[in-house]
Amino acid sequence: MSTSSFDRLWDQWSHWAEVSPDAEAIIHYAGGKAEKRWTRGHLMIRARAFAGALAGAGVVPGDVCALVMRHHPDFYPLYLGIVGAGAVPAVLAYPNQRLHPDKFVHGLTGMATHSGLRWIATERALEASLQPLVTGAASSVHALLFPLEWKLDSSAAPGRLAGADANPDQPCLLQHSSGTTGLQKAVEFSHRTVLTHVRDVARAIALGPDDTIASWLPLYHDMGMIAAFQLPLATGTRVVQLDPFEWVAAPGLLFQAMADEGASIAWLPNFAYHLLADRVHDEEMEGLRLDRVRLLINCSEPVRADSHLRLLRKLEPVGLTPRALGACYAMAEATFAVTQTAPGSPPRELAVSPAGLASGDVILVDTHAAARVCVSSGAPLPGTRVRVVDDAGQDVGPGRVGELWIHSATLFDGYRNRPDETARVLQHGWYRSGDLGFCWDGEYYVIGRQKDVIIVAGKNVYPEDVEAAVSAVPELIPGRIVAFGADDTSAGTELVCVVAETLVVGETEQQALRVAILRAAMAFDITVSRVYLAPPRWLIKSSAGKPSRKLNRERILSGALEAL
Amino acid sequence: MISEALKRTILAELKLTDCDLEDATLASEVPGWDSLSHVRILTAVEETFGVRFRGLEVLRLKNVGELQALLDRKLSAQR
Repeated sequence: MSTSSFDRLWDQWSHWAEVSPDAEAIIHYAGGKAEKRWTRGHLMIRARAFAGALAGAGVVPGDVCALVMRHHPDFYPLYLGIVGAGAVPAVLAYPNQRLHPDKFVHGLTGMATHSGLRWIATERALEASLQPLVTGAASSVHALLFPLEWKLDSSAAPGRLAGADANPDQPCLLQHSSGTTGLQKAVEFSHRTVLTHVRDVARAIALGPDDTIASWLPLYHDMGMIAAFQLPLATGTRVVQLDPFEWVAAPGLLFQAMADEGASIAWLPNFAYHLLADRVHDEEMEGLRLDRVRLLINCSEPVRADSHLRLLRKLEPVGLTPRALGACYAMAEATFAVTQTAPGSPPRELAVSPAGLASGDVILVDTHAAARVCVSSGAPLPGTRVRVVDDAGQDVGPGRVGELWIHSATLFDGYRNRPDETARVLQHGWYRSGDLGFCWDGEYYVIGRQKDVIIVAGKNVYPEDVEAAVSAVPELIPGRIVAFGADDTSAGTELVCVVAETLVVGETEQQALRVAILRAAMAFDITVSRVYLAPPRWLIKSSAGKPSRKLNRERILSGALEAL
Repeated sequence: MISEALKRTILAELKLTDCDLEDATLASEVPGWDSLSHVRILTAVEETFGVRFRGLEVLRLKNVGELQALLDRKLSAQR
């Protein structure tokens, strides 16, 4: 990669456009349509036009500008244009059809309050839903913008853009965690931090000028935004962007795009390995070759050995080798990556005793039969340190399980306007991840979680949100509902379980109650996969007097109740 | 009109005892039918009826009626 490194996003992007304006930057794929191919030059010309139009609409440097829109070829120059205008983009999830409009707006209101959203760039289809955010009494949102409808004059030469004079240590983007009941937290990163981080990641994966990245990842997620968007833009690497909604319906699109464009690198959450291995028919693979793929990085969910094996079996005939498997441990709080396996060799696997792990010891076993196979997420990135600590905050040493604490030069310095949440997880420069893992030969293995969050297909689901959603169901005893995650080995991810106390008995009535619970969660775009109904006083309470997620989860998974 | 056989296949995959499925029914209106169960449902339909859907065909489906129509086309092409 070039050594020309700038400390502002705009300058770095402009540099690549000046060096080789005709090189492709972003290839926008949409199923069944011709792809839109953005060269570096054209991307920046249009970004400048958007920046000028945004300034004309009243956007001033420092304003937070949310983006809520579907996969669209103009998304990219618009995003760049927001940065060009000196504003701070925040990509938010586009509401899918399940999400009730009121819940969507409620979630956004929480984000607006904490993040100080000033503008929402969106589509006309969401205007009616979003308008209350503008007119709301204490709302920070000044106006909705519909930039995809703007007639831009790309030939006009705007003056010097505010983004070219941005302070490199001021925020250049905001990332929000998921959640619907005010739990959303935003992290913000400066130009310098993002650029430093993506360069570190680029080195860790030995990114080169011949690489092309392919991604179906949503850009509101740190993996999509940092790894598959900021990294290629900052390093002048080609990237192919697919629509996440389309990919999940037709996973084979990723292979098609990778083969067509000669892609070499992709980041994927663990569940994607199953979807790609199990749901793409061999007929769809006919004529495709994936020989150029040199790195598939498993990230965002616990890495499972059998998931790697499944995909490898599927893709070996079309050119994938085990050397192309990789893994990464990442989180939005660290900008993105904390550890990364070395490119060119598959992640190390350790067969360990499950009983040993349960008591906190890593004990290697010879036979795989009764072993749990733990997959390495690699070694820390340069400038990143990882500690494995016990409940008292003491380091436990190699081969012992503990909570992973992270310190790095590109760590966040707190959730935006959330000192309470920040104080809980950030202490003396160390981020308490809530993840459980161990260190072995200098590499880190993530094996579980101390915190209650459920990771479904790479997306964090908070049990508090599920419990709040389900509490609206009549016939459930108020406050006697617990949500937790359980392993879904066939899908390679977790599923959401709900256990609730009720007086309702009788199979038909209980089935109706189950559907009511499913529907209540659906309105929040949460899929509840298993429902357990229990009689009053069944749930075990914690010392605080509330039903304990951990204890009730253990009790149910040991077979104390049958799912309906 | 959604056939009984298609309805049974979908409901079984979602573990639902009953649910109205009309031509205009959207996946998002059916409890449990999300993006992950969508692929499972399509696979179940493929296996039950001995057909294969292609990626682009699947992307065009807007409601249950269109799934029925696609299935009918596949079945009649096999005859």
